[in-house]
Amino acid sequence: MHHIPDASTPSKQPPSWLSALLSLILPGAGQGYLGFYARGAGILVTILGLTVLILWRGNAALWAAVLGIWVWNVWDAWQMARGRRPRMAIPALLAILVIYSLAFITTEVQPRRMVTGWSSMAPYVRALFRPELFEYPTEDRVGSAPILVPCVEPLPEPSRKPTEHPRLILDKPCASVGDPLTIRGEGFFPNFQGELWWVSPIGDVQRVIVDHQPATFMTDDQGRFEITIIVPLAVPISEQPPPGQTQTHQIRAEQHKPYGNPQPTQTLRLIWEKIGETIALAFLATVLGAVLALPFSFLAARNLMYHNRVTRGVYYLVRTALNIVRSIETLMWAIIFAVWVGLGPFGGMLALMIHTIAALGKLYSEAIESIDPGPIEALRATGANELQVIVYAVVPQILPAFASFTLYRWDINVRMSTVIGLISDAGIGFLVIQWIRLNRFSAMATAILAIMFVVTALDYASSLIRKRLIEGVPPRPDRSPWVTWGIRGVVIGLLTVIFFWSWHVAEVDFTELVTGMPAGMRMAKAFAVPDLFDRPTEAHAIRQPLPVPCSVMTPPPPPSSGPRVVLEPACGQVGDPLTITGYDLPPHTQVSIRWEMPDGSFLRVKSNCCTTDDQGMVQVHTRISPLMEITPESPPGHVGYVGIHWEEIVGGPRLSKTVKTVADLALVTLLMALLATTFSSAIAMPLSFFAARNVMGESLPGRIIYNLFRLGFNLTRSVEPMILVLIMAAWVGAGPFAGVLALIFNNIPNLGKLFSETIEDIDPGPVEAIVATGANKLQTLVYAVIPQLVPPFLAFILYQWDINIRMSTVIGFVGGGGIGQQFRLWVGLNQYDKAGAAVWAIVIMVWSMDYLSARAREKLV
Amino acid sequence: MLIVENLTKVFPGGTVALKNVSFQVEDGEFLAVIGLSGSGKSTLLRCINRLIDPTEGRVIWHDQDITAAQGQELRHIRRQIGMIFQQFNLVKRSTVLTNVLAGRLGYAHPIWSLFHIFPKEDYERAYANLERVGIPEKAHVRADQLSGGQQQRVAIARALMQEPKLMLADEPVASLDPVLAHSILRYLETLNKEDGITVICSLHFLDLVHRYATRVIGLKDGELVFDGHPSELTPEKFKEVYGEEAEMVTVSGEMNRYESR
Ligand SMILES: Nc1ncnc2c1ncn2[C@@H]1O[C@H](COP(=O)(O)OP(=O)(O)O)[C@@H](O)[C@H]1O
Ligand SMILES: [Mg+2]
Repeated sequence: MHHIPDASTPSKQPPSWLSALLSLILPGAGQGYLGFYARGAGILVTILGLTVLILWRGNAALWAAVLGIWVWNVWDAWQMARGRRPRMAIPALLAILVIYSLAFITTEVQPRRMVTGWSSMAPYVRALFRPELFEYPTEDRVGSAPILVPCVEPLPEPSRKPTEHPRLILDKPCASVGDPLTIRGEGFFPNFQGELWWVSPIGDVQRVIVDHQPATFMTDDQGRFEITIIVPLAVPISEQPPPGQTQTHQIRAEQHKPYGNPQPTQTLRLIWEKIGETIALAFLATVLGAVLALPFSFLAARNLMYHNRVTRGVYYLVRTALNIVRSIETLMWAIIFAVWVGLGPFGGMLALMIHTIAALGKLYSEAIESIDPGPIEALRATGANELQVIVYAVVPQILPAFASFTLYRWDINVRMSTVIGLISDAGIGFLVIQWIRLNRFSAMATAILAIMFVVTALDYASSLIRKRLIEGVPPRPDRSPWVTWGIRGVVIGLLTVIFFWSWHVAEVDFTELVTGMPAGMRMAKAFAVPDLFDRPTEAHAIRQPLPVPCSVMTPPPPPSSGPRVVLEPACGQVGDPLTITGYDLPPHTQVSIRWEMPDGSFLRVKSNCCTTDDQGMVQVHTRISPLMEITPESPPGHVGYVGIHWEEIVGGPRLSKTVKTVADLALVTLLMALLATTFSSAIAMPLSFFAARNVMGESLPGRIIYNLFRLGFNLTRSVEPMILVLIMAAWVGAGPFAGVLALIFNNIPNLGKLFSETIEDIDPGPVEAIVATGANKLQTLVYAVIPQLVPPFLAFILYQWDINIRMSTVIGFVGGGGIGQQFRLWVGLNQYDKAGAAVWAIVIMVWSMDYLSARAREKLV
Repeated sequence: MLIVENLTKVFPGGTVALKNVSFQVEDGEFLAVIGLSGSGKSTLLRCINRLIDPTEGRVIWHDQDITAAQGQELRHIRRQIGMIFQQFNLVKRSTVLTNVLAGRLGYAHPIWSLFHIFPKEDYERAYANLERVGIPEKAHVRADQLSGGQQQRVAIARALMQEPKLMLADEPVASLDPVLAHSILRYLETLNKEDGITVICSLHFLDLVHRYATRVIGLKDGELVFDGHPSELTPEKFKEVYGEEAEMVTVSGEMNRYESR
């Protein structure tokens, strides 16, 4: 019952059926005719857009929704002609329905797989609760004895020796698979448990299974035991020894007796080392990136560069370059640098650094743009010179912003550095992906837990520093300047040490940039000229029979004109010299000359052959291949041919297949981000109330829940989607769905944290005022709480959407689907022109989405 | 009649904000509450409409025990008691109209109101109240687009939507400059004189108390230390309320300057 003021109703009322008819013919036309151009255009664009989407990714049922919008549009035009203004809820809902249905289809969302795949996911989850942290050093006793499988006559000597102490005694020297075998052991640790292993002839080791359980034994007081097992199938059927022969297997009994104090596991030591590398890369990239970003930031600051045409040109150039570099994700840079300087920490550091330069360059330049000219003016007025003005009026204004941006970037770089190892051998991510490949779940879980704790701790540390930066350090006049400078000295010294250590760990070697230049340049060139167009071609082939030997048939003579193959001699024996000549082919064309064998298969006569000359002639000297020979086994009535194949261009340039693939995948990527953002927002919203202090109150259970949620958010937030997707791929299978799930699991805590902080910042005044009017709880929520939450929530959702777009471009590197998967494949195949097309598509997509969400954000404030 | 009996409030931290406060307010009075900041004025006002639950004591209004009321009953009492605040407490991002209509929530349909649907009379009432506080043209403007004085008028309009019999005002003019302070208090005075609404208003400036109140109570560290006619508030009494070092400060010096321009 809102009274909407009647806006701009056209003065002369046309008949209402006319506008309805117009809209029936062309959606939106009726509205446009009535003077509501924006509304009409909106309707038309919506219907057209949805039509294109459905045609592209189609599902026929969705046409119903488009039809619904069409019908609504007719009704709307009719109503508008009568001076009403219907709400847009119905068409908006229908459009959303279509987009989300397409998103579900395209990203292959199949919740069922979350159930069916659970069994393969379970070991990962279980492992998280059983990390490999510490173990006791052990004293080991290992006894082994050879056994021959199967039994043969006469029995050869086994090729391996038994151990003397401890000793295993078998009840027979040989056995067949499935036979029972009794093993007695002597000289082991008394009253202690041990395990039995079976070693195959090539050294593969497997646990011996008895009654579906891994076999263990228990020794008596004298350190003896006895156990009966079944001989396992240790060698695949296909590699069993031929009849009459046998192979030496081995049975091994092991006891590991712990002593002394627990020690960190090997896993933990490796993680420790790689975490160090992770931090070193992040640190070095942040420091170098920040330093290198400085000059660019000044060049990209509007207020400094807008004075004349030249500097303005530089401004736009630098801005654009920074934006392009920034819209290519760090991991994509990692792939690019892996081609350039090779796999390893240095390439990873460069990737982090270049993205840091671009991101910080932009943020710094914005800080410069927002400085207050007041103090500068004031200082000039005192008669200070330019340098003094900079030191006293400019630097103090930009320093805090620079510092906090740098710190913020450091947080991001730490996270990124944990995943750079998924691409190259650098940082903790490398261990994660290795261990996942080796199915070492508990080691992988240990690494993920390490990431959680280290990233959370570093986050916490930098939040403390940030707080100090914002609040300023309280002056300590009582402290002597010696102490102050001493502390500063120690901090600076420490940072310097960390810097050089990082330099060392990152294996920085700038000469690699030069030596890798050719590969890098080749890629850069291909990227600059992406594979956008190709021309349609038609395949042609001509052939001439080649009877081997001559007795098979008399070959018909080649045609005297037109494209033809001439063989010299026309027939012969295997190994005879042969000259193949093609005449009247299209000039300067790549052709392929093939042996076409009697059975129909073919082989190139020469690889990388050949190109026709000016006259369209091509010639090859070779010898007759044995493949061409007609033998008694060849199918009767067949003969071999020599063929020349080529492709001719028919028609003009058109968009290449790559472009279509890239456009397709860009859409998938976009829809992945859409689904992830939607679902995670919907889930994070209710959860965030549990992590808001003012909601949970000061009671003990309230505080416990609050802290649990906070901690949960912080810990899970620190695992990058790139790592999550490895696990999700095991759960629901590699593909876009896994990518969406990984993003969701990462977004929920991120959004949850931001949402809950917003809830904590809510102004209690309006809530109090609404309660005072006698409103009930729900009314208070709707009238005092939600209006305060909606704009910031939407802003955070848009922000997450931006991040998700970027993330979904790379999540495919490790099984998350979308454009990243194809990009990595193309780079792997050295098809850089195709990879280049993908990069440009990403740049365009990221840009346009950034622009749209920036516009949307402006509307929110 | 409003009866406050032995009201005591101890906050969870242990702060005793009110100590055994008792007084009565006749219908139609304009009661000013004075006291230093932290003396318990806000706590007292909020105990009256139960935004804060008192630790001990009772508040009785028109024979209803507010301190014992719960749920629906409490909300029905609250909707008869308007309240305005120092910080206006408007929902900044909602329109003025929505803010004013929110004053009607205690009467509105519990479901429909969740979708911002109110009966037609409520819209008419809202426009009428905006007219009354002098800003009918601002109905469709967002609340954060208004100046402080205008916002406080919206807040009064919101309170008027409740058709209150009692109006609580917690330092309603402390964030406004002197000219606006008088205009807001004049609205309260009109409500008090013309509509017979009882007003309980905490104030800081003594001249405002003298000018508008029919009765004054003074709080010091949560205790009632003065109860009488404004004319009885002598400098000695004032020192008792505000402490020995306090100086009498009035808003009128500045007032005169504004008016002499
Ligand atoms: N929610 C609260 N929790 C704890 N103490 C409070 C709370 N609100 C007010 N107080 C304390 O109660 C005392 C009275 O506060 P208040 O009623 O706001 O005083 P006034 O409005 O007169 O300035 C002060 O000491 C204040 O710190
Ligand atoms: Mg107060």
